[in-house]
Amino acid sequence: MAESEEEVDVLVQRVVKDITNAFKRNPNIDEIGVIPCPEARYNRSPIVLVENKLGVESWCVKFLLPYVHNKLLLYRQRKHWLEREALADITCTLLLLNPDFTTAWNVRKELLQCGVLNPEKDLYLGQLALTKFPKSPETWIHRRWVLQQILGQCSAADRSKKRQQGDAERGDAEQGGAERGDTERGDAERSQQLSEHLARTLHQEMKVCSDAACRYPSNYNAWSHRIWVLQHMGQGNVKVLHDELSSMRLWVSMHVSDHSGFHYRQFLLKALITELSQTPASTSSPQQRCSTAPSSSHLHHSQANGELSEGEAATDEEWQLSANTVLQLFHQEMELCSDLIQSFPGHETLWSHRRHVFYLWHHWRREQQQQKGSTNGESRSGVLSSNGDPAPPTLSAQSSAGGGGGVNGQGHAAQAMEVDGAPLPDPRDSKRLKTGVRPPSPPALPSEPSFVSGFLDGCCNPEQRRFALAYKKWLDTVIGQQP
Amino acid sequence: MGTQVKDVIIKPDAPSSLLLDKHADYIAAYGSKKDDYEYTLSEYLRMSGIYWGLTVMDLMAQLPRMNRPEIVDFIKSCQHECGGLSASIGHDPHLLYTLSAVQILCLYDSVDALDVDKVVEYIKGLQQEDGSFAGDKWGEIDTRFSFCAVATLALLGKMDKINVDKAVEFILSCMNFDGGFGCRPGSESHAGQIYCCAGFLSLTGQLHQVNADLLGWWLCERQLPSGGLNGRPEKLPDVCYSWWVLASLKIIGRIHWIDKAKLRSFILACQDEETGGFADRPGDMVDPFHTLFGIAGLSLLGDEQIKPVNPVLCMPEDVLQRVRLQPDILS
Repeated sequence: MAESEEEVDVLVQRVVKDITNAFKRNPNIDEIGVIPCPEARYNRSPIVLVENKLGVESWCVKFLLPYVHNKLLLYRQRKHWLEREALADITCTLLLLNPDFTTAWNVRKELLQCGVLNPEKDLYLGQLALTKFPKSPETWIHRRWVLQQILGQCSAADRSKKRQQGDAERGDAEQGGAERGDTERGDAERSQQLSEHLARTLHQEMKVCSDAACRYPSNYNAWSHRIWVLQHMGQGNVKVLHDELSSMRLWVSMHVSDHSGFHYRQFLLKALITELSQTPASTSSPQQRCSTAPSSSHLHHSQANGELSEGEAATDEEWQLSANTVLQLFHQEMELCSDLIQSFPGHETLWSHRRHVFYLWHHWRREQQQQKGSTNGESRSGVLSSNGDPAPPTLSAQSSAGGGGGVNGQGHAAQAMEVDGAPLPDPRDSKRLKTGVRPPSPPALPSEPSFVSGFLDGCCNPEQRRFALAYKKWLDTVIGQQP
Repeated sequence: MGTQVKDVIIKPDAPSSLLLDKHADYIAAYGSKKDDYEYTLSEYLRMSGIYWGLTVMDLMAQLPRMNRPEIVDFIKSCQHECGGLSASIGHDPHLLYTLSAVQILCLYDSVDALDVDKVVEYIKGLQQEDGSFAGDKWGEIDTRFSFCAVATLALLGKMDKINVDKAVEFILSCMNFDGGFGCRPGSESHAGQIYCCAGFLSLTGQLHQVNADLLGWWLCERQLPSGGLNGRPEKLPDVCYSWWVLASLKIIGRIHWIDKAKLRSFILACQDEETGGFADRPGDMVDPFHTLFGIAGLSLLGDEQIKPVNPVLCMPEDVLQRVRLQPDILS
């Protein structure tokens, strides 16, 4: 084992080089880790690359970390000069061992700004650090900064494209349109590339978040990052929101105590409802969005946000379709929640989810009533029940407590949607509406007090009973006291 | 068949009385051993580490045991050209460590050691158009940083230098349906973030904007059968979350809503009888961070062997009286 200072120097420099070479040899490394190994046993490198896994033998970490740490701090204090490449290598080693060392990420930000590093490379480094440190706040913070850079580049490119278009249109009056045609084609291609790049980046971020969420339960940093990504890169993109909601369905069903995962679902639901409530169905129906979204959402923000342009005013039918889609979302979510509560008794997370979904529904319903009051009541009454009140309907057979029920049983949910004797419209089936067929009556949420009482009567799990009681109290006081 | 509740079981032989002397010895010795590796690993938060150690020593009336001139010199050398302070020498400045540095200097009644005007300029420069605060020049936004900004300015008596109305507006935009707060608009409620937001609203005189009953409800639901508090549903109890939840309840005037005796026995059970110090949970490794929040929690619960702690700034009340700062508390 290395002992003297010079020996440590030589050893550590070799190890840093080995790490750099490992990345060159295999650009697909997908996980890092420390291999428990108290002493160097062979005269070989402590860096081990097996398939796509990069390991560091634990004995060398106590030499390696202080060395790279001090090197970087000396550089930061202008006491020791480092070439850019050396700086990139040292911060890489340092951050894989100690990813919350903020200043090391900052050095990389500077290297990115002067073009020595590229954004994708840094996203990749962060992704690897998260395989060992899935919570690391500084790693997530750095990712957001890098993503902002990518977004900035894309919107700068978009702006310059628009400026060129403007120039070309003005120039068109004087010159022929031949050149303009070429430029336009080039622009269109570039714009397409940018869109695809952004869509890929968004997709990749979702995967990084999922991985980190699987590695550490209720990973606040991973889930709040995921929300940030949607807020900044998928704003107003109904297609992405729908996709996320459906892909999360299985995930939450397999992680019934992950409060952060469920909160993300609540976020998606709320975002979708907001979009659908602002947007007439014709521009927000999932299949229509497919063609433009997700890639162009950022570049064509106003369009993706569903702002109404002239002559595009929503018809009553379209509003109705949106409202029906929202109702169906609520209905499906409550069904999922009921299933999970029954299948996995005693999980606070599931009851907390129920509160939030019910709260969202309660407010949406109130807004619908107010809208109905302020606009032509006749035209929108279709989303409400026959007496104009969207209050919870009679108790559904599905809501009785204690029944088993499949966790993800789509059939189960479909069955439940016919509670009121009328099947739900498929929100994607807009043709029927377009051709003037009156939509069937909307579903309504199961009656909550009855849902709860099932657990109070026959439930033998004391935790379940406690959560059911707390939920009932919440309904009575928090919801009950609201106008 | 029941689902196992995520909680700890406190063993009958767990510590049940406060081992003050042991804790003071633990903290006094902590700074002196500088194992290369351990020291390196946590250097990125050194300034906060010093704040934790000194504050808990002061709460135990043991502050004179710490090396004041060395610490004040260290802090001076961490102030940067921009006015902000870094966690340690050679690290980059950040609001988190700027607050810790100012807190330490208040304990020592030596705020003059810094160029205060520059600190204020630094903080002012980090406020964004929407009222939020970036943690440093790279722009990350978090309600924690809003708290750091107003707490530092309040300690310096310079709150008027920022746009307080806008800052409040941003914090309120992070309020959730459960009465809690997250790190950004739309983020999940989290006891640590709630502490920061409740503290922020206290310092800015805006506590009336909190739905105290609703938030109090959520906070009380953090108490588990062991008596310990967690930071979010279905997480394990933890001494530091016990502080954040308890302090938030104190700020919004609902501390009597939890079982104080049970919480006290949970915190006491997190002591290490041999080494001194508190761990996150009974039987785990101790550290200065959990030692501060264990002691501060016991102080809020009314332990008379410890100096009264201020729930908003997590500093001894006598220090705040000296700087003439009395953050609002709902009754």
